[in-house]
Amino acid sequence: MQAHSLSRGSIAGLPAGSGGALPALVLVGLFFVVPVVALLLRSVTDPEPGLQNYAALFGSGTYVRVFLNTFLVAAVVTVVTIVVAFPVAWMLAIMPPALGSVVFGIIILSMWTNLLTRTYAWMVLLQRTGVINRALMGLGVIHEPLPLINNLTGVTIGMVYIMLPFMILPLVGTLRAIDPMTLRAAALCGASPSQAFRRILLPLSLPGIAAGGLMVFVMSLGYFVTPALLGGTSNMMLAEMIAQTVQSLLNWGLGSAAAFVLLAVTMVLYAIQLRMVGARRLAGGL
Amino acid sequence: MRLILAGVLAGLLSATAAKADEMVFTSWGGTTQEAQTKSWAEPFAASSGIKVLQDGPTDYGKLKAMVDAKNVTWDVVDVEMDFAIKAAKDGLLEPIDFAAVPKADLDPRFSNEHAVGSFYYSFVLAWNKGVVSGEPTSWADMFDTKKFPGKRTFYKWSAPGVIEIALLADGVPADKLYPLDLERAFKKLDTIKSDIVWWGGGAESQQLIASGEAAFGQLWNGRVFALEKDGADVGVSWNQNLTAADVLVVPKGAKNKDSAMKFLAAATSPTGQAKFAEASGYAPINTKAKAEMPADVVKGLPDAHVEGQINLDMNYWAEHRDEIATRWYAWQTK
Repeated sequence: MQAHSLSRGSIAGLPAGSGGALPALVLVGLFFVVPVVALLLRSVTDPEPGLQNYAALFGSGTYVRVFLNTFLVAAVVTVVTIVVAFPVAWMLAIMPPALGSVVFGIIILSMWTNLLTRTYAWMVLLQRTGVINRALMGLGVIHEPLPLINNLTGVTIGMVYIMLPFMILPLVGTLRAIDPMTLRAAALCGASPSQAFRRILLPLSLPGIAAGGLMVFVMSLGYFVTPALLGGTSNMMLAEMIAQTVQSLLNWGLGSAAAFVLLAVTMVLYAIQLRMVGARRLAGGL
Repeated sequence: MRLILAGVLAGLLSATAAKADEMVFTSWGGTTQEAQTKSWAEPFAASSGIKVLQDGPTDYGKLKAMVDAKNVTWDVVDVEMDFAIKAAKDGLLEPIDFAAVPKADLDPRFSNEHAVGSFYYSFVLAWNKGVVSGEPTSWADMFDTKKFPGKRTFYKWSAPGVIEIALLADGVPADKLYPLDLERAFKKLDTIKSDIVWWGGGAESQQLIASGEAAFGQLWNGRVFALEKDGADVGVSWNQNLTAADVLVVPKGAKNKDSAMKFLAAATSPTGQAKFAEASGYAPINTKAKAEMPADVVKGLPDAHVEGQINLDMNYWAEHRDEIATRWYAWQTK
């Protein structure tokens, strides 16, 4: 019945012949559009109609701080992920296909391992009494344990590790599409390797970087488990704050408002990105 | 749109709701819920024929959402007592049917119109003997980084405990703790902020202390009890131990209210409480339970450490929960 009322609304505006997409549209409507609208409604009606939740949100130093921190963490993670992913993707692109698919398999395999398990593994490695600190102290490299966990360093390491495949995959696609002859041509014209990288390879791979970077950035914004376990309270991210607001303070209105603002900001970013790169190239990069 | 969503949710939820001869018990998971299952749910199911389904972990946001949507799938929920008092005020709980749940032997500190005690516990000072030289004896020692260097671990969320510990360490006498001087407490906490590692759940607190990742900590006594049982090299000070309680509540509109009340009677009975205390190291809330327990278990309970024991004021917390939490997270994220 719900599907019926929805489909009548959506089919009217569609060109003839798109009836085959109907189930997909109903699915998107039911599981994506409806919850977002419900969220928005809740943020302006709970506990009473009005904008008081948004006023509370922006009037609260805590929330503003957590917002800024969330974007800072996402930005740092994105930049580091790009820097680490680029050489890997380049190797993959120029490797013999047989070897390439093995390396590819290893990268994909890490994605199939449970997120929580991977995060706990990092805890074991990074903590003061963890493997890395013990080894470095045993070798006499350091005398005091390095602060690798419960801070931005820990969050960045844990999240970059999780995000790498999402950056590598679109990048490999873009890099493979680049004609190797362009680089050879650059070399023949006297370009040094770094010039060839800066003026040929990098500009040509930008769509892949943009596509992967956007995905990593947006995914990072909403991350919960990894920052909660590897970060400290001074780099608390928004998802954890929202969970606290809803679970322990029972303030669904404020939690919804925070979630909606995050969503809105993400969509604005996405729109800007589409404008800069162009939707088609972005999709091609993916 | 809202109606559609509510309809879909209602359909999904009612598909999982318990049948008449079943009920759902929700608690915090881990060793605590295991002990509750063994000590309460299984014997109760055997004697009453009512099957007890387990769910969890307890989530206050979910509880409120269920009551608001008038589709309650939990029948008995283990919650912290300060939350229970606030939730009753907000109309989220059914009153307890004391015709079905015998009240006479229940510790009056941990029961009221809308809740009966589940168990009570103490926050104690625990440390890793392999890392710490000397013996900390009071909360003040946890703030003395010169005498006792190393990381210290405290409960991460805004809840009764850490604020009181900071005030006690700063020299506030136990009988002058309330109303809480938040300003003073946060100022005291500032002095060791960079040395604090937070624990968000019981298992994490055990891991931090057992590995020596944190030298000291404010732990639930049952978690220290379990560490000792496992042979970990931990020290514990019961001086200034702070009591708090978990209580059992029935959410408003629970579908199997009658079964729930029968379950509460079994869970709070002397036998149910004795068995749970033996399994968990937490204290019984039925005054007759101790008679049914081995002497060495009784010795390890918060009951055996009433000297210097301080009761956290659940009513004060219920009233100021939101206000304290706002300050707490503002300070923490700074």
